[in-house]
Amino acid sequence: MGNKTDVWQGTLALMILKTLESMGAQHGYGIARRIEQISGDQLQVNYGTLYPALLKLEQEGYVDSDWGVSDNNRRARYYRLTRAGKQQVKKETRDWEQATAILARFLSPEGPA
Amino acid sequence: MGALRAILIRITGTFGGRRRRAAMEEEFRAHLQMDYEENRRRGMSPEEARRMALMNSGGLTMATENVREQSGLPFLETLFHDLRYGWRTLRATPGFTIVAVLTLALGIGANTAIFSVINAVLLSPLPFRDQDRLVQLWETESAPGSYPFAGPDYIDWEVQSKTLEATAAYNYPNAMNASNGADAQPVIGCPVEASFFNVIGVSPMMGRTFTKEENQSAKSRVAVITYGFWQKFYGGSSDVLSKKLTLDGEAYDIIGVMPKALNFPSRTQVYLPKDMTTTGMRTRGQHWFRAIGKLKPGETVASAQAELSTIAANLEKQYPDSNEKVGAKVIALREQITGSSRESLLVLLGAVALVLLVACFNVANLLLARATGRLREIALRGVLGASRWRIIRQLLTESVLLSLMGAMLGLFGAWWCVNLIQNATFLPVPRTNPIALDATVLLFTAVVSVLVGIVFGLAPALQASRLDLGEELKSVAQSVLSPTGWNRRVRDLLVVGEIALSLALLTGAGLLIRSFQKMRAAETGVQAENVLTFATLLPHERYKNTPEQRAFFDQLQDRLSHSPGITGAAVATEIPLEGGNNGYIAIDGDPDPTHTNLLVEHNYVTPGYFAALGIPFIAGRNFSEQDLDYAANATERIIKLNEKDPNEKTPPDIQFTVIVSKKMADTFWPKEDSIGKSYHSPHSTTPYRVIGVVGDVSTWGVRQQSLPQTYHPFTMALGDSRAWGQVVVHSTLPPATLLSTVRNQLRQIDSSLAMIQPRTMQQVISENVQDAAVQTWLLGSFAALALLLAAVGLYSVLSYLVTQRTREIGIRMALGAQQNHVLKLVMGHAGTLTAMGIVAGVIGSLLLTRFLQSLLFGVTGRDPLTLAAVVAVLALVALIACYVPVRRAMKVDPLVALRYE
Repeated sequence: MGNKTDVWQGTLALMILKTLESMGAQHGYGIARRIEQISGDQLQVNYGTLYPALLKLEQEGYVDSDWGVSDNNRRARYYRLTRAGKQQVKKETRDWEQATAILARFLSPEGPA
Repeated sequence: MGALRAILIRITGTFGGRRRRAAMEEEFRAHLQMDYEENRRRGMSPEEARRMALMNSGGLTMATENVREQSGLPFLETLFHDLRYGWRTLRATPGFTIVAVLTLALGIGANTAIFSVINAVLLSPLPFRDQDRLVQLWETESAPGSYPFAGPDYIDWEVQSKTLEATAAYNYPNAMNASNGADAQPVIGCPVEASFFNVIGVSPMMGRTFTKEENQSAKSRVAVITYGFWQKFYGGSSDVLSKKLTLDGEAYDIIGVMPKALNFPSRTQVYLPKDMTTTGMRTRGQHWFRAIGKLKPGETVASAQAELSTIAANLEKQYPDSNEKVGAKVIALREQITGSSRESLLVLLGAVALVLLVACFNVANLLLARATGRLREIALRGVLGASRWRIIRQLLTESVLLSLMGAMLGLFGAWWCVNLIQNATFLPVPRTNPIALDATVLLFTAVVSVLVGIVFGLAPALQASRLDLGEELKSVAQSVLSPTGWNRRVRDLLVVGEIALSLALLTGAGLLIRSFQKMRAAETGVQAENVLTFATLLPHERYKNTPEQRAFFDQLQDRLSHSPGITGAAVATEIPLEGGNNGYIAIDGDPDPTHTNLLVEHNYVTPGYFAALGIPFIAGRNFSEQDLDYAANATERIIKLNEKDPNEKTPPDIQFTVIVSKKMADTFWPKEDSIGKSYHSPHSTTPYRVIGVVGDVSTWGVRQQSLPQTYHPFTMALGDSRAWGQVVVHSTLPPATLLSTVRNQLRQIDSSLAMIQPRTMQQVISENVQDAAVQTWLLGSFAALALLLAAVGLYSVLSYLVTQRTREIGIRMALGAQQNHVLKLVMGHAGTLTAMGIVAGVIGSLLLTRFLQSLLFGVTGRDPLTLAAVVAVLALVALIACYVPVRRAMKVDPLVALRYE
């Protein structure tokens, strides 16, 4: 467990959005666990990065939040994707794919042509 | 999109932090608990599960801090923190805060009030459509100046001009008798051409304006009323368009109401259709009318001027008799309306800005005194890690807060002032735009107060940035707070500046006071005591001819002069100081050709006029009843002849008598006795024979030189159209007490006639110098304010000096110094500061007073007497400011002083 990496800046927002897209409304703990799971426990999401990121997404209008009750009857704040958020997932996914594709060419054994 | 939304939310997020924090903590607790339960499910012991959960969280404090930063704007948060802190500091020293806020409120309030006037008069566009294309049209003559239009000239200009899109002729607004049931009241009417409202681009708020056809008759009985008149006479009733208005005995249909914003030509209450028929427009050479025009897009004042000059030159060739030397003058309407008040308003703005500067210096001074007491606090903050910039920012926030508080209070004062001057007649500025605290003025106040806060906050802030933290804390340890030399020097400099600025203001005020005195003492040529004057206007329908009109005025004079307390009554067409009619004269065989270019003023008077106003006879005799009869008959004959044929020459046997002023006699007959000499008008041979010479009178105002003046028998002014008479009543009682007697006499003869502009002659004179009175009063108050502030500044510096040096004084006294040594110590400092301030102030005054030159009368900007008086006043005030500190210094008890250690 000692060699977990912190999420690097800029990618967390997309991970959160993607998580909410696939799971529907979710609380902060659930989002963190899910991201850690998907990363194969290679990433660690702590409060100090998760909650400011969620707040920022909320301020930008991509997610919405409400207090609800969790599986084990605990009051928790649930985040869910807004319509603008759904579009933002598509857009960011596209951008990200494009960026990685470009980077991949640089990193390929043949090198940039 | 998302980013903008985020910023807005973060701005609001800066507030209401407590609730947000509670929600966040609950969310974190829930998160932690879920983690803990998950860990338990995985089979960890409770302790292990809790430890893991906390470890995963990555530090709750940091997380809280991160979220807080994201939820608001740290920059704003610091600002609010500084404001709260500043507010607490200011509340801790209420004495200082009250003095500073009051000082600033006076400075900012006065600036706001003056700026609101400047904004309305000079900055706001005229409330007319395409106002930058509107021009005023004038004719010029051989004498310098601008002159009203001759009707036929106007028609030619209107037809021929290609640079003007539209023009409109109108008359000078004049008084009429409005009867509204029982009593007659004067109303200001202005006959205008139908195009008038199109040119200025103002539509009626109700009804319509005039048609061209209504201009083509002398008998169009329709009226358009102003908003103010509608409110005053009809209480703003909505069915006003179905009502009639009786003016000079004629019923007019009210066809329209103009919007509130229209106040042009100023004072107008009722617009009437101007008679544009050939008769109504009179002849060339009779300059009676005014005109405005609208430039075509792309044309300029200069291009219109060039074109109209050409047209005028052609008219001169075409009609050499009447149009010789008659030219054209075009001036932007805005310039025409506001031009005359520009200079005095800018002088006032400059003066009030200086007052604000003095206020700034004063508050900076107070702040520096206080900052010394705060050095310990500031040093401590510095040691605890606050950056220099952070401390400066904190101090500047505090001073801007202070000036905003001053601005709030000042706005109340300005609001009160603006309410006062909004409708007041004592402030003689054009009122085309209403004076109000509008958005522009508020913006001005906001910008000024922030700037002011930065200016006076700069000194303490700079001082803080110069602090040597180690030194300060050392001196804290010694419990002796020594002001740095820098602090003392800056404070001294500020006081010198205050003294210099107030001296400059005092000089300005002193010069205005002196010239105002000279104006009041200026020779008007009349004895104004116990003289009452008012005007009457006889409608043509009721007083059709000379005998009827003359009978009325004779009866009025007779009744008045037999009323108790009244020693004389007379009638004239003009009264002194308020201008009048003028023209050129010709003298057969006159060797001096310049005489034909001199304007001569004409007044038509009854014989009692000279005695009633105390105008002395220098030579010859007064008009007799025979003169009046002859003039009445001769004038009637001429009118009848002209009715048959306008070009009929005056019969050669007619010869009028005339009384001239001394100036007239000295100008035209310099080396001979003028009695018995004759002159005639340039276009007629009818002789006017001089029978008397009287003293000079100021015709166009106290500040104008007296002009050559003729007096004709009053009966010459009768017969034609409406008869206008200014009644002059001389009494042994105070004239104001006669008002009801005079009003009753007038009512008994004809109750449909209004008593127009009843005033004492003293009032006529003070109205004539009203603008100077207001300028003097305002500049005087500004100077007094600055002087007071400077005195407070000097006092505070000296008090501080004494406090600082109590120990030194104590030691000196213990060592045997005499009281006068101590006196020298304090007074020497005060004297140095005052002397430096006076030297700087005198230099400043000499530089600044030239801007005042055009407002002065009878004194120069470098009047040594004024300067000496002002320096004396300032030195005296400085001495008074020293008194308390000096007394404290003298009373220092060496024992008490040394115990300070």
